Amino acid sequence: MPDHIVSSFDQDLEKLRRTIAEMGGIAEKMLADSITALVRRDASLAQAVIASDQRLDVLQRDLEEFAILTIARRQPLAIDLRETISAIRIASDLERIGDLAKNIGKRALAVGGQFEHQKVVLGVQTMSERVSGQLKDVLDAYTTHDTQTAIGVWERDGATDALYTSLFRELLTYMMEDPRNITFCTHMLFCAKNVERIGDHTTNIAETIHYLVTGQTIAADRPKNDRSTAPADAAS
Amino acid sequence: MNTVSVMQTASAAGRAADASAPVRIAVRDLDFFYGAAQALKGINLDFFDRQVTALIGPSGCGKSTLLRIFNRIYSLYPEQRAEGEVVLDGRNILDPRIDVNELRSRVGMVFQKPTPFPMSIYDNVAFGVRLNERLPRSEVDDRVEAALRRAALWNEVKDKLKASGMGLSGGQQQRLCIARTIAQQPEVILFDEPTSALDPISTGKIEELLEQLRSEFTIVIVTHNMQQAARISQFTAFMYLGEVVEFGPTNQIFMNPGKKQTQDYVTGRFG
Repeated sequence: MPDHIVSSFDQDLEKLRRTIAEMGGIAEKMLADSITALVRRDASLAQAVIASDQRLDVLQRDLEEFAILTIARRQPLAIDLRETISAIRIASDLERIGDLAKNIGKRALAVGGQFEHQKVVLGVQTMSERVSGQLKDVLDAYTTHDTQTAIGVWERDGATDALYTSLFRELLTYMMEDPRNITFCTHMLFCAKNVERIGDHTTNIAETIHYLVTGQTIAADRPKNDRSTAPADAAS
Repeated sequence: MNTVSVMQTASAAGRAADASAPVRIAVRDLDFFYGAAQALKGINLDFFDRQVTALIGPSGCGKSTLLRIFNRIYSLYPEQRAEGEVVLDGRNILDPRIDVNELRSRVGMVFQKPTPFPMSIYDNVAFGVRLNERLPRSEVDDRVEAALRRAALWNEVKDKLKASGMGLSGGQQQRLCIARTIAQQPEVILFDEPTSALDPISTGKIEELLEQLRSEFTIVIVTHNMQQAARISQFTAFMYLGEVVEFGPTNQIFMNPGKKQTQDYVTGRFG
């Protein structure tokens, strides 16, 4: 795309993109580290995850303010307007991803020394690896304006939901087996739910990228395989 | 660029582009020449009844030229000529047998700079009415008052109708010119950059007025202000080098244009 006649407008948009890239990097690292902290019971890593959320919050506030200023100053249209609005949306999703990862970090500190069923922890780890891959892909798609990759991420979210549902059932079973497992399993359930929510925010970003590039929203309903709230599961 | 497709989209403000409205002006294979220089090339466009259509494009793209064809102002200049068809209510207005005075009373025009006549406010508005119709004084009075009210100027001038139109502010003068146009009860009103010489408050008043006039008139406006076109029009045509590059509902042109050239222009990337 050719540059704007007013070159400082290009710099403004570039600043938005750079901030999103930085936020994306932090969010990715927070997710990976929070799970590592959970698996290895690494308290200092968990603390580091909790601390880095602050930076993400600051970046999101700065970006939002700058995007609003850009709208006021430049009155962007077409792709420029979509780019500006998309930056606000994506920053908000990344900030939420940070919050959820921070919550996993807090739980990693809380579960230390409790009942440990490595299989459950590994289940959460498997889910998070999947979601981490999705997050990486979606951030790449943002940088390259690649709608195909974004749609791919969007389509694969259903599989994350399915993993969550099976983990949910498994955790319920452990809790029913022995009430002493409940505290640990509840923490794990929240961790799994957080990862599943991170997947949802990643999917939001994929939808935003599609809108940013094409000007159209993805028409179909989002694939949903989270069955944990289905009546049969609730009763079981 | 000859064929132009039109989609219907909804605007958030409820001012949806209505492509099912009857076509008020149909332009077909229109060419225009200033002497030997061709300024418009094969224009095909529909202007819909009681919709605002904005013509945008860089200077010299032919948008004002196109506007000037609709009331045949160009025919004041012998070296200028139009070929093709511009159909208004079933008649080709390019036909030399058309009575241009009658045409101009049906297709009014408001220019970039306010052009009040050096006469009273009342006489300015009554001017066109008296020129084309023989009406009793009381009816002219009514017509003048109604036009000034619709131009949102009545309250400001009702106590000084005999004062000179030249004494009004720029924004008031422009609304006076709009009143003068409305008084003739036209079907179509052409606006050639009507707010480019006005301050933001006067501009706001004219934009507000355009929004109201749309319920009665078909409006075509040339503007260099992209945001203005996005705010006030239902349809937008982007012109470049004498051709229509893209025509469609305004929301589409400014949010998701189909052609790269249009996108480059509306986003300020035109090199």
